[in-house]
Amino acid sequence: MLIVDSLSKSFDKGKSFALKDVSFKLEQGDVCAIVGESGSGKTTLVRLIAGLERPDGGVINLEGKEVSSIKKLVPPEKRNIGLVFQEYALFPHFDLLKNVMYGISKLKNKKERAKEILELVGLSGMEHRYPHQLSGGQQQRVALARALAPNPSLLILDEPFSNLDAMLRMQLRSQVFEIIKKTGVTAIFVTHDTQDALSVADEILILQNGKIIQKDQPANLYIKPSSIYVASLFGNTIQLNKEMQTAFDCPLNPKCDHAIRNENLSINEECEYVTHARVLKKTFLGTGTQLLLKLDNGQKISVITKEREVADRIKIGFNSTDLLEFAG
Amino acid sequence: MKKIILSLFGLILMFGCKNSEEKQTEEKESKEVNVYTHRHYESDQQLFKQFEEETGIKVNVINASADELIQKMSMEGEQSPADVLITVDAGRLERAKSKDLLQPIESEVLENTIASHLKDTDNYWFALTKRARVIAYAKDRVNPEELSTYEDLASEKWNGKLLIRSSGNIYNQSLMASMIVNNGEEEAKKWAEDVVDNMARSPKGNDRDQVKAVVAGEGDLAIVNTYYIGKMLNSDDPEEVKAGEKVGLFFPNQEGRGTHINVSGAGVAKYAPNKENAIKFIEFLVSEEAQKIFAHSNYEYPVNDAVEPAALLQEWGEFKEDTLNLSQLGQNNKKAVMLFDEAGWK
Amino acid sequence: MKQAGSSNIFSLKSRLNRLKRDTNRWSVFTLAIVGFIALPIISIGIKLFAGPGETWGHLVDNLFVDYIGNSFFLVFFCSVLVLLFGVSSAWLVSRFEFPFRKQMEWLLILPLAIPSYIVAYAYAGIFDYGGSFELLLRFFNMEFIRIDMMNKYGLAFVLSISLFPYVYVSSRAFFLDQAGNLLEASTMLGIGEFRSFFKLILPLARPAIIAGLILVLMEVLNDYGAAQYFGVNTFTTGIFRAWFALEEPETAIYLSALLITFVFALILFEKWQRKNMQVASQKASKFSHRKEFKKSAQWLIFLIVLIPVSFGFFIPLSQLIYWAVLTAGNVFDLDFLMLSLQSFWIAFVTSVVTVIFATLLIYFAKWSSISTVKSISKLGILGYAIPGAVVAIGIMIPTLALDKWIIGVMNDYFGISTGLLINGSLVALVYAYAVRFLAVAYNPIESTGLKVSSSIPDSSRMLGVGHFKTFFRVEFPLIKTGILSAIILVFIDVMKELPLTLILKPFHINTLAVKAFEYASDEMVMEAAIPSLFIIFTAAIPVIFLNRLLIKD
Repeated sequence: MLIVDSLSKSFDKGKSFALKDVSFKLEQGDVCAIVGESGSGKTTLVRLIAGLERPDGGVINLEGKEVSSIKKLVPPEKRNIGLVFQEYALFPHFDLLKNVMYGISKLKNKKERAKEILELVGLSGMEHRYPHQLSGGQQQRVALARALAPNPSLLILDEPFSNLDAMLRMQLRSQVFEIIKKTGVTAIFVTHDTQDALSVADEILILQNGKIIQKDQPANLYIKPSSIYVASLFGNTIQLNKEMQTAFDCPLNPKCDHAIRNENLSINEECEYVTHARVLKKTFLGTGTQLLLKLDNGQKISVITKEREVADRIKIGFNSTDLLEFAG
Repeated sequence: MKKIILSLFGLILMFGCKNSEEKQTEEKESKEVNVYTHRHYESDQQLFKQFEEETGIKVNVINASADELIQKMSMEGEQSPADVLITVDAGRLERAKSKDLLQPIESEVLENTIASHLKDTDNYWFALTKRARVIAYAKDRVNPEELSTYEDLASEKWNGKLLIRSSGNIYNQSLMASMIVNNGEEEAKKWAEDVVDNMARSPKGNDRDQVKAVVAGEGDLAIVNTYYIGKMLNSDDPEEVKAGEKVGLFFPNQEGRGTHINVSGAGVAKYAPNKENAIKFIEFLVSEEAQKIFAHSNYEYPVNDAVEPAALLQEWGEFKEDTLNLSQLGQNNKKAVMLFDEAGWK
Repeated sequence: MKQAGSSNIFSLKSRLNRLKRDTNRWSVFTLAIVGFIALPIISIGIKLFAGPGETWGHLVDNLFVDYIGNSFFLVFFCSVLVLLFGVSSAWLVSRFEFPFRKQMEWLLILPLAIPSYIVAYAYAGIFDYGGSFELLLRFFNMEFIRIDMMNKYGLAFVLSISLFPYVYVSSRAFFLDQAGNLLEASTMLGIGEFRSFFKLILPLARPAIIAGLILVLMEVLNDYGAAQYFGVNTFTTGIFRAWFALEEPETAIYLSALLITFVFALILFEKWQRKNMQVASQKASKFSHRKEFKKSAQWLIFLIVLIPVSFGFFIPLSQLIYWAVLTAGNVFDLDFLMLSLQSFWIAFVTSVVTVIFATLLIYFAKWSSISTVKSISKLGILGYAIPGAVVAIGIMIPTLALDKWIIGVMNDYFGISTGLLINGSLVALVYAYAVRFLAVAYNPIESTGLKVSSSIPDSSRMLGVGHFKTFFRVEFPLIKTGILSAIILVFIDVMKELPLTLILKPFHINTLAVKAFEYASDEMVMEAAIPSLFIIFTAAIPVIFLNRLLIKD
């Protein structure tokens, strides 16, 4: 239902690219997360899809219609895309009901529809409050309700939870995506938090420096990341370079890069590849302990373990099934 | 959006049409006369009203400086609504004539009333009132017998005593033009340089300010137009009256060519849509009843000999005026300004 | 895959395709408005190619040094004085509590209500022989000390004291909005309040202060009435001299081109400043409370703030009232009331029209997607840099051409003789005002507009609402205060405007400023007091209202 083809956007008349040759497809009902560091081009990508920015090249197809090319642009108000902004962008001079009715003013039963959707997001009874009277989480849900009211064919959420604190974030995340699943709308959400992406997305698209470096289902991404960069986005990763390979005595294909996830390292257990290390420093983290280790060949690495009590000298190792291999 | 554009357009049409309606009625009945004037005295308002009452011709007025009015007329060209141009100096009328903005008119009334040096040689314009540019001196410090001519103001004895306004002022420009015509360019420039050396202060303020500076002791002599003294003596501000009383008036060059005068005057615009009314209007302004009003409310000298000047002016006595044809002032105006600049007269 | 990779997206063909795609009606409308506003300026610019008149050499030889010297002197001295009065009073009213502080807040804006040439006449009158100052000294049996106002120092003083509110308003906005946290952070670090102000607040407030200062300097360079009366030759008096006394419009246009270049350099300097000072736009942080000293110190602050208010407002106002009492009988009548009403209506209609133009220009440019168009749109505010008389001529050139064309068409096809439709009508006058004062309206609208996050209109559009409806339903309610401020500022400026009005005003119509000028130019300065007071009165009420808006904002 959404086809993005060779989309490019440059700054300074081609001197630098915010996006370069980005192509992907999205099926009806998919929830897709776009993950990347700040400056990776993820916000630019969704603004191009929304029609708020103009691409320098490439085509966007929405529900079989070409909405963006270098010859033609359908303006955002004609694309039927819902967008929830990072800062919510509620209209400060309207109450909730008016905010939600804003996009459906042509509907006959707009009031009923607005009330219904407010109920869906759990804000019924607050129709006549103004945005400044709401908490951040409530504002977020109003923004969602407002975007969903016109039944968009695509819903975009730009960094939806970045303005919320950790507790609220978890809670709201499940609520929001529950609502999204309920409506069955195709959705794209932008985030720099991989936890968000892993937990709710059907598919994850990873952007780095304006290019897509991997697109896959969450589990696949975790198990088969295409690069060390992708692997490290989803948790602490230790690169197995030549010296490390010698330390663990595991000669690996020299044409490829290898890494092991921190959580797959086991301490004082039997593994295929092991080595001994001295603990230089322990830092208590609450859920676990961070250890600064000096391997016997002099390499220093930092690992996190669930164990509370760790001896000064330990055995550390991993199994070949947990190895991550990347084509060099 | 469309609504805004439409209503803006409507607004333009509305104003525009209103304007054109006026024009059209003008042409059919010609019950109007459009006056571009630099004069803006209460007395003039009174005269215009009187003219309206007597003739039923409506007087439309635009007030601005003569320079701006001339500029406006020349840009408007054939479409100019102006019928009459009134200025407060002959120089500007001459400029309007040379820019082909006026037309000669034949009028026995004007012909008979106005002396030949007070009108254009080709009847393009006519003087309405006269003012003399005289010397106001501190009664307590200056013996009037020491005073003689404009030329004498350049002499050593007035060093640091002279007060006169800036060269941007048209009355000074006219005076300078008369010096050029009478004494030649070289002499005139020399005169201006010496006058600058004699100045008590750098030129600033208006004519009344020069008189006040004399009274304040900044200098002994001020060069001013007669009617300003008249106005000071009849001012609402008692301090101005006092100042006016402390100076005496001296009419220079009585032994020779006579005191320099400048005039306010009027001409009929070349493309005047209401030419007949325009002539009627100017004739009215030099008529006895109008001239009386000019003379008595504004302390100007009438151009109609049948009318006596105001009592105050009569007190100052009769004087001999420079009968140099005023057209020549206008012709030399630009030269005068440039000589002023070269002489350092600010 | 129809589309090739990014390699050829910068080929000429792609560029042209995109330009065609991005050229929307807003781009066209923006250019139309800029063209409309810039037309008079362009008409004059074209005349530059004709070269200066023959007196150019004469001017350069004899007067240039004087013009440049005096203009620079004024720019320098006025900058110093205006900063001193404006910034200090802004800081005092926003940081400290003292008696009558609330009243002082708006009184400090009121000097703007008096045209600067009127202030000049008033001060000349005060220190004149037999003036109020002498009478006052006489009353106290003191010896008369003559203070000569009528020189370049006096002129710098008069212009500064009547124009400093521009700097006061812009710096106070910054102090009220931004300075709270900064000062707290700084004093927490153990730096005294006094040093914090100079080391931290002042440098950060610089863009705001400079923006106000630029407006002041434009007015200073454009002043004709005061400079001419005080006998100080500046570029602007030079323009009038070249044009009228030397009868050479070409030379005058050359001079004004020089002046415009100078002002343009000032504007560019200010833009460059702003670019280097992006840090200033932080989240608003107001003072939690105003500092309260003991009573005696509070009264001292009151007295300090009273100085600019007195010199800029009360003293000239008293002189005008004194004159008005002397001359009331001569001036005041029914005609005069009608005239006041006319002035009021013209100023009101003009300010609304100008603000509509400014708003359209700002928002059309925003909606246009071509960055070049956005830059060009800034040209629309150049009119403020051009002397009113020059603008008037600039208006007459194109409107007369149009008028003559209409006359030709009407005559040829309909046989109707129309006469000049636009010239000598209110349309030409309002057009000229709009050209001249667009910048005055532009700034407050633009700056309140910047406070509205771009995601607000964006989200409206995502909900299926187009630009125009979005503007009226969402943006307009949020920038209302900016629009109102703009209307008020233009209103005041139009009430005071002189040279342009003189040249372009229609028959039957007169304004208070013209009336005041007529009296003053006829050496009836005292009679000019009543129309001046009416200007002050009609301008003062909106000024007070404006202050309320600015504080709420």
